[in-house]
Formats: sequence, C-alpha cells, structure tokens
Amino acid sequence: MDFGFSADQEQLKAQVRRFLDSECPMDRVRQVMAAKESHDRGLWSKIAELGWPALTVPESFGGLGMRWEDLVVIAEEMGRSLFPSPFLASAVAARAIALMGSEGQKSRWLPLLASGDLIATLAILEDSDDLSAAGIGLVAESDGEHVVLSGSKMFIPHAQAAGLLLVAAREHGGISLFAVPADAAGVTVTPLRLIDQSQRAARVTLAAVVVESSDRIGEPGAVWSDLAAVLDAGTVVLAAEMVGAADAALRLAAEYAKVRKQFGHPIGRFQGVKHRLAEILVDIESSRSLVYFASWAVDHQEDPRGAVSMAKAYASQALDRAGEEGIQIHGAIGFTWECDAQLYYKRGRYCRNLAGSPEYHHERLLSVQGI
Amino acid sequence: MDFSFSEREEAFRREVREFLDVSNPHRVVAAGKDAQSDDDVESAMDRLPKLLAWNQALVEKGWVGFHWPKEVGGGGGGLIEQMILKQESGKARAPMLGLSYMGLAWVGPGIIKYGTEEQKRRFIPAILEARDHWCTGYSEPGSGSDLASLRCSAVRDGDHYVISGQKTWTSLAMWSQWMILLVRTDPGAAKHLGITCLLVPMDAAGVEVRPIKAMNGETPFAEVFFNDVRVPVENRLGAEGQGWDVTKHALANERSSIAEVTAMVNHLEDLKRLAKRCRSNGRVAIQDPLVRQRLARMETMIEAMRLTGLRFLTKQLRGHEVGAETSVNKLLRAELEVEIGRLALDIEGRYGSLVKGSPGAIDNGKWQRQALTWPSYVIGGGTPNIQKNVIAERLLGLPHDA
Ligand SMILES: Cc1cc2nc3c(=O)[nH]c(=O)nc-3n(C[C@H](O)[C@H](O)[C@H](O)COP(=O)(O)OP(=O)(O)OC[C@H]3O[C@@H](n4cnc5c(N)ncnc54)[C@H](O)[C@@H]3O)c2cc1C
Repeated sequence: MDFGFSADQEQLKAQVRRFLDSECPMDRVRQVMAAKESHDRGLWSKIAELGWPALTVPESFGGLGMRWEDLVVIAEEMGRSLFPSPFLASAVAARAIALMGSEGQKSRWLPLLASGDLIATLAILEDSDDLSAAGIGLVAESDGEHVVLSGSKMFIPHAQAAGLLLVAAREHGGISLFAVPADAAGVTVTPLRLIDQSQRAARVTLAAVVVESSDRIGEPGAVWSDLAAVLDAGTVVLAAEMVGAADAALRLAAEYAKVRKQFGHPIGRFQGVKHRLAEILVDIESSRSLVYFASWAVDHQEDPRGAVSMAKAYASQALDRAGEEGIQIHGAIGFTWECDAQLYYKRGRYCRNLAGSPEYHHERLLSVQGI
Repeated sequence: MDFSFSEREEAFRREVREFLDVSNPHRVVAAGKDAQSDDDVESAMDRLPKLLAWNQALVEKGWVGFHWPKEVGGGGGGLIEQMILKQESGKARAPMLGLSYMGLAWVGPGIIKYGTEEQKRRFIPAILEARDHWCTGYSEPGSGSDLASLRCSAVRDGDHYVISGQKTWTSLAMWSQWMILLVRTDPGAAKHLGITCLLVPMDAAGVEVRPIKAMNGETPFAEVFFNDVRVPVENRLGAEGQGWDVTKHALANERSSIAEVTAMVNHLEDLKRLAKRCRSNGRVAIQDPLVRQRLARMETMIEAMRLTGLRFLTKQLRGHEVGAETSVNKLLRAELEVEIGRLALDIEGRYGSLVKGSPGAIDNGKWQRQALTWPSYVIGGGTPNIQKNVIAERLLGLPHDA
C-alpha cells in the first residue's frame, strides 16, 4: 500500500512545472485566448521536442510507455497553468488507438502521435444530452470495402488542431469507431466560441465522408464499452486539470488576501475570507485524493466507473467554488479582464458540465452499484 | 501508487477475520440487516461483561495498543497492519479495539512519550487490560476553543500539588478511575508555558463530579470540581510547564482516520438500505432523485476521506510528520456526521420524528440518536471554525485572527 507520488513522478512534475513557468506564463495563455489560430504551434513543437506526446504511448510504438497515473501528474500541472494545448485530448485519442486498434493501425498512427507530428482527438458525442451510446446518431454505411459516414459531432475538444479524428458511428445497431483524416473530403470543422477562451472545441460535420473499412478501429458495432472506458480515462485527466486549476485559483486568492488591507488588517485575517479559503482547500485535497485514485483505477480496477464519477463530481465542486470565490476575494479587481481570477472561473464553467455534470456522475455512481 | 497488500499483510487480514468470527460480541448485529442503537453509553454498561471478554481476547492477541512499543506491553505492530485491524473490525461492526477509550487514544501515548518508567509500569497495563478508564480534564467554563487560557490551578506544597478550580464537559468522568488534567502552575508565565499536566485519581478527596445531561437525553459528560485536591508530584506527566506540549503530542498516533471512515461506510450502507425500505414524496426514497444525489455525494465525501487518510498514512510510512493536514478530514467528518442524521430523518419522512421505544419507530430510533448526537463529533475535538483557522493559518499562511 502506497498512496503518494513516486520519485519519478515527483521529478516529472517538477520538470513540467519548470517548463510551464518559463514557457507558458499567463500572458502566453492570454495570447492564445486572443489568437485566431487553432493552437499555439510554438508551444506544441516545444513539448514535442521534450517528448511529452510520447509519454503514455506504448514503447513498442515509439512511446515511453508511462502509466495513466503519470499523465495525471502532468495534467494537474497543466490545469494549474491553464495550459492551452491539444496535448491531453491527443493523449486520450492515442490511448483509444493503443487499446482498441489493430497492430497495423497502431503502427500507422501511434509513432506519429508519439513524435507530435500528428494530433488526434476523439469525436464521440453529439448534440444529444445522452452520454451513453444512445446519444450517437452519426451513421456508418458499409459496402464491404468502403464506409460512408454521415452526421455531426459536437463539443469535440481541439478538433481544429487535429489531423486525425476518431469518429464514433452507429453501425449494425451498435457503435463503431473510425479513424478519419481531418482533411478528408466532406469533413467540416466549425470552431465554437467557448466561455473559456483558453480552450478550443468545435462542431465536426461529416457529409458522406468515405473511409476504407480498414480504418475501422475494433469490431463493427461492438466498441462502445471500450470506447466508454477510454472516455472515462479522459474524464480523469480532465478532473486532474480541474484540480490543478482550482489550486491555482486558491493560491492566487490566498496571496491577495495576505497583501490587500482593509480596516487596518490584511483581509485574510477576516474569517469570512480565511474560512472560505480553508473550505476550498478541503475541497481541493479531497478531489485530489479521488482523482489520483481514479487514475490508478482506470488501469487496475475491473470497473473504475464509480471511482471516475466521484473524482469528476468532486473536482467540479472544487473548481466551482475556487473559481467563484477567487473572484469575490479580489473585490472589483476580480471582475476585471486583467485579473487572472476570471480565467479559473471560466475554466470551471466550461468543465463543470463537460464529460458529465456532478449530478450526472452522482447518479451514475449509484446506478453502477445496481441501486 | 500501489493499493495492493503484501502476502504478509493479507495473511494478517485473514487472521483478523478469523478472530472476529469467533470473538466479536457484535457479530449477530453485523450479520443482521441493520444495527440497532446499541452503541450508547448506558447500554454499553449493560453489556459490560461481554465487552470485558472482548478486551481480554484482544489483549491476548496483542491487539490492544497495537502500535505501541512492545517494551511497555503494546503490540509493536506496524501502521498498515493497524489500519487492516481497524478496517476489519469496523466492517464487522465490532466494539472499539480496547475499552479504555481515552486511555488508548491519548493518555497512553502521552505516558509512553513523556512518562517516567514508574508511570509506564503503573498505568499502561491497566489501560490495556481495561482496568483503568480515563477521562480528560482540559475544557473549563471559560476555556473551550481557547484552551490555553485555562485557569484551574495547582500550587506546589512540598511533594504534592494542590489543585483548585473547575473542569467541564468531561466525558465519562463518572465512570473513570483517572483523569489526565491540565492545570496552570505558573500564572506569571506566557499562557502556553504556565500549564502542567497531572494524572489525578478520581477518588481523591475533594474531587466532585456533577453529570450533565445532553440533548439526546444521555449523560455523556460532567462538570468536575477540585476543592484543594492533593496529588503527589510523581503524578505529574512531563515537566512543570510542559503541559501544552504533552497535550499536543499525546494525540492519536495514527492519522489515517480509518476508524471514522469505516464507521461512516457502515452508516452509508445502512442508509441505502433504509432508502429502499422507506417512502418519501410519493415514491420509494431510493428512487427520489434528491435522495440519490445526497447519497452519492455522501459516498463521494466518505471515499475522499478514506483516500486522503491513505495519503496521510503513506506520508507517515515514508517518515514524515502529518500535522495540520488532518483538519481536512476532520472538516469532512463534521459535515458528514450532521448530514447522516439529517438525510436519514428526511428519508424516513414523518416517521423521522419517532425515537427509540415509540410505536412505529424505524431501526429502534438509531437515526434519531445520530441526529441528536452529532455535536459530540463536531464540537468535541475542536470546532469546525477552529479547524478552518488551522488550515488557513498553517497551510495557507494567512494571518492569525486573534
Ligand atoms: C460531547 C462532548 C464531549 C466533550 N468531552 C470533553 C472532554 O472529555 N474533555 C474536555 O476537556 N473537553 C471536552 N469537550 C469540550 C470540547 O473540547 C469543547 O466543547 C470545544 O473545545 C469547544 O469549546 P466550547 O464548547 O467552550 O465552545 P467555544 O470555544 O465557546 O465556541 C463556541 C462557538 O464559537 C466558535 N469560536 C470560538 N473561537 C473562535 C474563533 N477563534 N474563531 C471563530 N469561531 C470561534 C466555535 O467554533 C463555536 O462555534 C467535549 C465537548 C462535547 C460536545
């Protein structure tokens, strides 16, 4: 029994932190927010040089074969810096290929993903509020050799940066997954305007897009449970980012509370301020425990859904409170565009209902227990 | 991260389970559908002979004072094994791992760290064997959260201290043979430095105990008056003026909160069963989306507490101190203790107002007792406001407010 970071993980965390501090301070994040580009190519090539995209790709396909727990260490740091990058979305897509792809598909895509020459993302969910297979309506029609995909995907993370889309489609009454080059004829990527400008997401429309049947990942109509597991692994990473963002919001507010004086004292002396900060710390430590455990559970537990749901639900609460309170503790300054408090708040608004609201995850926690 | 246990630890777990199958006096309760309200003090007294047998069986195993050094008669066990023992006995809804509650929780650890050899010989075996029960004389009418302001005094007179003053909220005072007492010995010193710790026999001349009735109708604590009570100097624990340190360090030696967590996991299981049996707002309560949200949120908080406890334990195993962080779990616990009773009564609907002994009472009033007893856990060990101060000041570096 050991529930802490290993020496390697501590080292990884320190490396990532050093990089983010020097290469991605908040003004860089703000540049990305203001930019029209799909992503910050400069940042991407730097992290590709450092080998980050290779971290969780299996060693036999050009990666470093690290575990999902290790990715969570990084994700938390990225959340702390509101790192504006398709990095995590692409890592989750790589996990799908690694777990579900044939040898041929793995050797075709994974080395490209590991080197950073290719960015991928999962294009699973659509306009439906149903997060299960029933929410997928995009149709795949096959004539044996070719498959025609028609339909529309919504809230696809970082689709505008991706060269490869992993598209879930309805086929044979079940769900299939296809590797679709983003530049295939009939694919349209329409960027969404998000409340959190440091993030990117898009609507992806497939108008009779033709792919080879060899681009089908896994069995026709039979991949939903595997895909749902990958989505859950992605949810854990998202929750880790949220914990990091919440922690950064807390630290920013706590530092401000030490220097801003009113009534002759630092405002951090007033319990209306200090107790709120303490409550946020409790939320953060609690969700951190749940997130670390869930990151272990996705690779070690038969059914990690409960662990994942608890992590996402609690992380949402932590970031909700840290984001909102972070603004209030800054007073009017907190309402300004210039103050970073708003950035964490926006991240919280964006993430809360992404990959399932806390209410959804509470309900799922009971239903996976048969209650 | 590694959540597996070694072969030796698993073997120990099996040993604990086998022991509990035979020796747990609550095994009938555990096997039955729902635990009754059998954990209040009075009925514990009725069950005393069985409990003493339980204590004896544990002593023979070396499982009372599990983590205490062997030299003083403890089990000399490791932190992980201790956690396993607490987990398994909690799951089996067994009584506490030793009856001398405060003796085991902080008096014993305090004596082991600060006591003389003579004190260890005199007090430790009696704690392990549950011959001595201890109470804790810290709080006073004027000194609660601000404990260091205490005024109950002791004046040196030859080889005795003469104590005068009052303590209050002293749990179990009327059933205890001994008290661990904080007194002011140096009124001139700074408030934390003038305090000394004494070990006082409750039958000493001049000690008067007046029980206090609590809102749940039970009598868990008392006022204790000291009218020139004389205790020999050899009953002093630690040096004169060292009482504050003794108190601080005497606190529990294990920080995983595992005992509290297993108790709450049991409550949660019972609550889920309760929600399947009761109707509220026109349907079976377990189908009520609001009830479901509250149950799931409770489960999430309990799981967070469990995991955070494991992070603390890991820190301890790696040789680091765990201090102010433990307030994180104390705050979660405070919230949970209140919510458990509140949710249960909400699930029961109108029947939620029926207490033990009433026609129609559900689970013989066990949840009503919880709804009337949570202040013991929430206020007893330092109030939530104080825990928040600890977190804000020690973990976030915010200024002191007083
Ligand atoms: C069931 C039970 C058993 C107990 N057993 C024992 C025992 O065996 N031995 C013993 O010595 N004591 C015992 N106590 C006493 C317990 O330790 C005290 O009740 C506790 O420390 C709080 O002190 P108080 O009751 O005087 O409340 P106060 O300190 O007067 O607090 C009253 C309210 O004011 C708030 N408050 C106080 N100071 C601050 C501050 N600085 N900032 C913000 N809010 C503040 C508190 O949070 C609380 O809400 C027991 C209490 C209970 C309920």
